[in-house]
Amino acid sequence: MTPLELHEEQRQLRRMRAVSIFEGSTLVLLVLVAVPLKHLAGYPEATRLIGPTHGLAFLLYVWMLIQTVAGGGWTRLETLRLIVVAFIPFGAFVNERFLARRQAALASTR
Amino acid sequence: MDYLWLKIFHIVAIVTWIGGMLTTSLTLAATRGIEVSTDRSKLIYVIRQWDRRLTTPAMFLVWALGLSLAFEGGWFTAPWLLMKLALVFVLSALHGLLSGTLRRLTRADEASPPVVLTYAPVAIMMLILGIITLAVIKPF
Repeated sequence: MTPLELHEEQRQLRRMRAVSIFEGSTLVLLVLVAVPLKHLAGYPEATRLIGPTHGLAFLLYVWMLIQTVAGGGWTRLETLRLIVVAFIPFGAFVNERFLARRQAALASTR
Repeated sequence: MDYLWLKIFHIVAIVTWIGGMLTTSLTLAATRGIEVSTDRSKLIYVIRQWDRRLTTPAMFLVWALGLSLAFEGGWFTAPWLLMKLALVFVLSALHGLLSGTLRRLTRADEASPPVVLTYAPVAIMMLILGIITLAVIKPF
Protein backbone atom coordinates (compact mmCIF):
# COMPACT_ATOMS: atom_id res chain seq x y z
CA MET A 1 0.00 0.00 0.00
CA THR A 2 1.35 3.45 -0.94
CA PRO A 3 1.43 6.21 1.74
CA LEU A 4 -1.51 7.92 0.00
CA GLU A 5 -3.56 4.70 -0.01
CA LEU A 6 -2.65 4.12 3.64
CA HIS A 7 -3.82 7.64 4.48
CA GLU A 8 -7.10 7.05 2.62
CA GLU A 9 -7.64 3.75 4.46
CA GLN A 10 -7.01 5.46 7.81
CA ARG A 11 -9.56 8.16 6.92
CA GLN A 12 -12.18 5.55 6.01
CA LEU A 13 -11.60 3.71 9.31
CA ARG A 14 -11.84 7.01 11.25
CA ARG A 15 -15.16 7.82 9.54
CA MET A 16 -16.45 4.32 10.19
CA ARG A 17 -15.50 4.53 13.87
CA ALA A 18 -17.22 7.92 14.23
CA VAL A 19 -20.41 6.53 12.65
CA SER A 20 -20.24 3.46 14.95
CA ILE A 21 -20.06 5.69 18.04
CA PHE A 22 -22.89 7.88 16.71
CA GLU A 23 -25.14 4.86 16.05
CA GLY A 24 -24.37 3.34 19.46
CA SER A 25 -25.00 6.67 21.20
CA THR A 26 -28.41 7.16 19.59
CA LEU A 27 -29.40 3.67 20.83
CA VAL A 28 -28.18 4.53 24.35
CA LEU A 29 -30.24 7.75 24.21
CA LEU A 30 -33.27 5.86 22.96
CA VAL A 31 -33.14 3.04 25.52
CA LEU A 32 -31.87 4.91 28.57
CA VAL A 33 -33.46 8.35 28.09
CA ALA A 34 -36.29 8.48 25.54
CA VAL A 35 -38.10 5.22 26.46
CA PRO A 36 -38.07 5.91 30.26
CA LEU A 37 -39.23 9.49 29.54
CA LYS A 38 -42.14 8.11 27.51
CA HIS A 39 -43.23 5.40 29.94
CA LEU A 40 -42.30 6.91 33.33
CA ALA A 41 -42.71 10.64 32.73
CA GLY A 42 -45.47 10.56 30.08
CA TYR A 43 -43.32 12.39 27.53
CA PRO A 44 -43.78 10.51 24.18
CA GLU A 45 -42.15 13.29 22.12
CA ALA A 46 -38.74 11.97 23.23
CA THR A 47 -39.16 8.65 21.40
CA ARG A 48 -40.79 10.41 18.43
CA LEU A 49 -37.57 12.42 18.01
CA ILE A 50 -34.89 9.91 19.04
CA GLY A 51 -36.56 6.86 17.40
CA PRO A 52 -36.28 8.03 13.78
CA THR A 53 -32.85 9.58 14.51
CA HIS A 54 -31.62 6.17 15.66
CA GLY A 55 -33.27 4.53 12.62
CA LEU A 56 -31.40 6.82 10.22
CA ALA A 57 -28.16 6.42 12.22
CA PHE A 58 -28.51 2.63 11.94
CA LEU A 59 -29.03 2.88 8.16
CA LEU A 60 -25.96 5.11 7.85
CA TYR A 61 -23.95 2.68 9.99
CA VAL A 62 -24.91 -0.44 8.00
CA TRP A 63 -24.36 1.38 4.69
CA MET A 64 -20.91 2.61 5.77
CA LEU A 65 -20.03 -0.89 6.93
CA ILE A 66 -20.93 -2.37 3.52
CA GLN A 67 -18.93 0.38 1.80
CA THR A 68 -15.92 -0.13 4.10
CA VAL A 69 -15.88 -3.91 3.65
CA ALA A 70 -16.40 -3.63 -0.14
CA GLY A 71 -13.31 -1.41 -0.18
CA GLY A 72 -11.29 -4.61 0.26
CA GLY A 73 -8.55 -5.82 2.56
CA TRP A 74 -10.85 -7.76 4.90
CA THR A 75 -10.92 -11.54 5.33
CA ARG A 76 -14.27 -13.35 5.05
CA LEU A 77 -14.25 -14.02 8.79
CA GLU A 78 -13.63 -10.33 9.58
CA THR A 79 -16.44 -9.30 7.21
CA LEU A 80 -18.86 -11.80 8.75
CA ARG A 81 -17.88 -10.70 12.25
CA LEU A 82 -18.42 -7.00 11.48
CA ILE A 83 -21.82 -7.61 9.89
CA VAL A 84 -23.13 -10.02 12.56
CA VAL A 85 -22.02 -7.71 15.40
CA ALA A 86 -23.66 -4.73 13.63
CA PHE A 87 -27.09 -6.32 14.12
CA ILE A 88 -26.57 -6.99 17.86
CA PRO A 89 -27.81 -4.13 20.11
CA PHE A 90 -24.86 -1.94 21.18
CA GLY A 91 -22.63 -4.01 18.87
CA ALA A 92 -21.52 -0.74 17.24
CA PHE A 93 -19.30 -0.06 20.28
CA VAL A 94 -17.71 -3.52 19.91
CA ASN A 95 -17.11 -2.92 16.19
CA GLU A 96 -15.64 0.51 16.94
CA ARG A 97 -12.97 -1.11 19.14
CA PHE A 98 -12.28 -3.70 16.41
CA LEU A 99 -11.87 -0.91 13.83
CA ALA A 100 -9.63 1.04 16.24
CA ARG A 101 -7.32 -1.99 16.56
CA ARG A 102 -7.17 -2.31 12.79
CA GLN A 103 -6.40 1.40 12.47
CA ALA A 104 -3.59 1.07 15.03
CA ALA A 105 -2.20 -1.96 13.17
CA LEU A 106 -2.25 -0.02 9.90
CA ALA A 107 -0.50 2.94 11.53
CA SER A 108 2.29 0.67 12.80
CA THR A 109 3.01 -0.53 9.24
CA ARG A 110 4.15 2.98 8.24
CA MET B 1 -42.83 21.07 5.61
CA ASP B 2 -45.71 20.81 3.16
CA TYR B 3 -46.34 17.24 1.92
CA LEU B 4 -46.00 18.20 -1.75
CA TRP B 5 -42.69 19.99 -1.19
CA LEU B 6 -41.38 16.95 0.65
CA LYS B 7 -42.46 14.85 -2.34
CA ILE B 8 -40.74 17.21 -4.83
CA PHE B 9 -37.40 17.11 -2.95
CA HIS B 10 -37.77 13.34 -2.46
CA ILE B 11 -38.13 12.81 -6.24
CA VAL B 12 -35.23 15.18 -7.04
CA ALA B 13 -33.04 13.25 -4.55
CA ILE B 14 -34.10 9.91 -6.13
CA VAL B 15 -33.19 11.10 -9.64
CA THR B 16 -29.78 12.29 -8.37
CA TRP B 17 -29.16 9.06 -6.47
CA ILE B 18 -30.18 6.66 -9.23
CA GLY B 19 -28.40 8.70 -11.92
CA GLY B 20 -25.21 8.54 -9.84
CA MET B 21 -25.61 4.82 -9.14
CA LEU B 22 -26.12 4.00 -12.82
CA THR B 23 -23.07 6.11 -13.74
CA THR B 24 -20.96 4.31 -11.13
CA SER B 25 -22.18 0.85 -12.10
CA LEU B 26 -21.63 1.46 -15.83
CA THR B 27 -18.16 2.89 -15.15
CA LEU B 28 -17.24 -0.20 -13.12
CA ALA B 29 -18.60 -2.50 -15.84
CA ALA B 30 -16.66 -0.56 -18.51
CA THR B 31 -13.36 -0.73 -16.59
CA ARG B 32 -13.41 -4.54 -16.49
CA GLY B 33 -10.54 -5.92 -18.50
CA ILE B 34 -8.99 -2.49 -19.07
CA GLU B 35 -5.34 -2.13 -18.01
CA VAL B 36 -4.58 0.15 -15.05
CA SER B 37 -3.57 3.49 -16.61
CA THR B 38 -3.56 7.21 -15.87
CA ASP B 39 -6.74 7.69 -17.93
CA ARG B 40 -8.58 4.94 -16.05
CA SER B 41 -7.42 6.35 -12.70
CA LYS B 42 -8.63 9.83 -13.68
CA LEU B 43 -12.04 8.47 -14.68
CA ILE B 44 -12.43 6.51 -11.44
CA TYR B 45 -11.30 9.56 -9.44
CA VAL B 46 -13.98 11.80 -11.06
CA ILE B 47 -16.76 9.21 -10.59
CA ARG B 48 -15.67 8.66 -7.00
CA GLN B 49 -15.76 12.38 -6.22
CA TRP B 50 -19.27 12.54 -7.72
CA ASP B 51 -20.31 9.54 -5.63
CA ARG B 52 -18.99 11.08 -2.40
CA ARG B 53 -20.26 14.62 -2.95
CA LEU B 54 -23.60 14.01 -4.65
CA THR B 55 -24.78 10.42 -5.01
CA THR B 56 -24.24 9.33 -1.39
CA PRO B 57 -25.73 12.49 0.22
CA ALA B 58 -28.68 12.13 -2.22
CA MET B 59 -29.25 8.57 -0.97
CA PHE B 60 -29.45 9.73 2.66
CA LEU B 61 -31.76 12.55 1.61
CA VAL B 62 -33.99 9.99 -0.12
CA TRP B 63 -34.21 8.00 3.13
CA ALA B 64 -34.82 11.03 5.35
CA LEU B 65 -37.42 12.62 3.05
CA GLY B 66 -39.06 9.27 2.28
CA LEU B 67 -39.47 8.45 5.97
CA SER B 68 -40.83 11.98 6.60
CA LEU B 69 -43.35 11.46 3.79
CA ALA B 70 -44.41 8.13 5.29
CA PHE B 71 -44.96 9.83 8.69
CA GLU B 72 -46.83 12.77 7.14
CA GLY B 73 -49.04 10.54 5.02
CA GLY B 74 -49.60 7.94 7.76
CA TRP B 75 -48.40 5.14 5.47
CA PHE B 76 -46.39 3.17 8.01
CA THR B 77 -48.95 0.40 8.47
CA ALA B 78 -49.31 -0.16 4.71
CA PRO B 79 -47.75 -3.49 3.51
CA TRP B 80 -46.75 -1.95 0.14
CA LEU B 81 -44.57 0.57 1.98
CA LEU B 82 -42.78 -2.13 4.00
CA MET B 83 -42.12 -4.02 0.76
CA LYS B 84 -40.89 -0.81 -0.89
CA LEU B 85 -38.60 -0.09 2.09
CA ALA B 86 -37.09 -3.58 1.74
CA LEU B 87 -36.35 -2.93 -1.95
CA VAL B 88 -34.84 0.51 -1.13
CA PHE B 89 -32.69 -1.20 1.51
CA VAL B 90 -31.38 -3.67 -1.11
CA LEU B 91 -30.75 -0.76 -3.52
CA SER B 92 -28.83 1.09 -0.76
CA ALA B 93 -26.75 -2.02 -0.01
CA LEU B 94 -25.93 -2.30 -3.73
CA HIS B 95 -24.85 1.34 -3.70
CA GLY B 96 -22.60 0.59 -0.71
CA LEU B 97 -20.99 -2.26 -2.68
CA LEU B 98 -20.47 -0.05 -5.76
CA SER B 99 -19.08 2.81 -3.70
CA GLY B 100 -16.67 0.50 -1.82
CA THR B 101 -15.53 -1.12 -5.08
CA LEU B 102 -14.89 2.33 -6.56
CA ARG B 103 -12.69 3.08 -3.53
CA ARG B 104 -10.88 -0.25 -3.99
CA LEU B 105 -10.15 0.52 -7.65
CA THR B 106 -8.31 3.71 -6.73
CA ARG B 107 -5.53 1.49 -5.39
CA ALA B 108 -2.69 0.86 -7.79
CA ASP B 109 -2.74 -2.95 -7.37
CA GLU B 110 -6.48 -3.39 -8.02
CA ALA B 111 -7.06 -4.44 -11.62
CA SER B 112 -10.77 -5.15 -12.10
CA PRO B 113 -14.10 -4.97 -10.28
CA PRO B 114 -15.81 -8.30 -9.46
CA VAL B 115 -17.69 -9.96 -12.35
CA VAL B 116 -20.97 -9.93 -10.40
CA LEU B 117 -21.03 -6.12 -10.47
CA THR B 118 -21.36 -6.13 -14.26
CA TYR B 119 -25.01 -7.03 -13.59
CA ALA B 120 -25.45 -4.03 -11.27
CA PRO B 121 -27.05 -1.69 -13.91
CA VAL B 122 -29.73 -4.31 -14.65
CA ALA B 123 -30.30 -4.93 -10.93
CA ILE B 124 -30.71 -1.18 -10.34
CA MET B 125 -33.32 -0.90 -13.12
CA MET B 126 -35.25 -3.95 -11.83
CA LEU B 127 -35.28 -2.59 -8.28
CA ILE B 128 -36.40 0.86 -9.48
CA LEU B 129 -39.20 -0.76 -11.49
CA GLY B 130 -40.42 -2.56 -8.36
CA ILE B 131 -40.08 0.51 -6.12
CA ILE B 132 -41.93 2.89 -8.48
CA THR B 133 -44.67 0.33 -9.18
CA LEU B 134 -45.29 -0.09 -5.44
CA ALA B 135 -45.23 3.69 -4.82
CA VAL B 136 -47.62 4.55 -7.67
CA ILE B 137 -50.11 1.67 -7.56
CA LYS B 138 -49.98 1.05 -3.76
CA PRO B 139 -51.46 -2.43 -4.39
CA PHE B 140 -52.07 -3.54 -0.77
